[in-house]
Amino acid sequence: MAYKCTRCKRNVEIDYEYTGIRCPYCGHRILVKERPTTIKRIKAE
Amino acid sequence: MTMEVDILELSERSAKFILSNASAAFANGVRRASLSDVPTLAIDDVNIYNNTSVLFDEQLALRLGLIPLTTDIEEFVPVEECTCGGAECPACKVSLTLSAEGPRMVYSGDLVSSDERVQAADQNVPIIDLKEGQKVVLEAIAHMNYGHKHAKWQAGVACGYKNMPIVTFENCDECGACVNECPKNIIHIGPNGAEISGDDILKCILCKLCASVCEIDAVTVSEDEKSFIFTMESDGSYTVQQLIINAGTTIKEKASRLGEILESL
Repeated sequence: MAYKCTRCKRNVEIDYEYTGIRCPYCGHRILVKERPTTIKRIKAE
Repeated sequence: MTMEVDILELSERSAKFILSNASAAFANGVRRASLSDVPTLAIDDVNIYNNTSVLFDEQLALRLGLIPLTTDIEEFVPVEECTCGGAECPACKVSLTLSAEGPRMVYSGDLVSSDERVQAADQNVPIIDLKEGQKVVLEAIAHMNYGHKHAKWQAGVACGYKNMPIVTFENCDECGACVNECPKNIIHIGPNGAEISGDDILKCILCKLCASVCEIDAVTVSEDEKSFIFTMESDGSYTVQQLIINAGTTIKEKASRLGEILESL
């Protein structure tokens, strides 16, 4: 799953076992999940 | 007695008419048919390619669904009744695309339809306010369906009727109490006491305040049970004339279907 660090803007992988939720490059703890590139079909109701 | 229709106002989107010599059941049938039994096109599915706006995809889809689209009842059929069996052929599906980048307000007029007969009925319905760098790219798929499935398929809006008011003045002493009491200001003092002139009677809301304030009980307010003042409004998918015709046609079809069933028993 691709996440993005909000400080250094790099794509990061989350290491659940060792570092937890933390950017391996800058140590920032706020990561956001990027919108997937797939087409999303939604019912309009 | 034969039913009569007397048109008071008629424009593209709204109509006001008097339906006389008809039963309340029939008047209500016409009202209900125009609300729920006249099929119309509305956006039903949305394929979202990109949405970096502040609205969630679901919220955006809901807003798109409620935009009225112009419809030709002869050209399209509801998905369930289509010969393609739900596979979405051109007879039951229209695709509209929307591609916009901020900063700007996106309106219903920005939807690009694949079929030129199907357009947003109003070009100025705001969909979303995009800020700098925000983007929306999507394909909306419109289907035809009935108002009883979802309110977005309601062709008739604000359809209603009231009975024709009958207000009579007998032995009026011209005290003027009813003139001051009437919330619609339609009563005035004439040569033979209080009266309501001409088409002003159509404005009467049957509140009966004039009757209650009259000390000598000279005013009686009643209603004609066979006559109705109808107001009808279309959402823009049809002209109001087409809407009433289509409502009448659906009632006729249902009645003939019932007749066929009863005959086959």
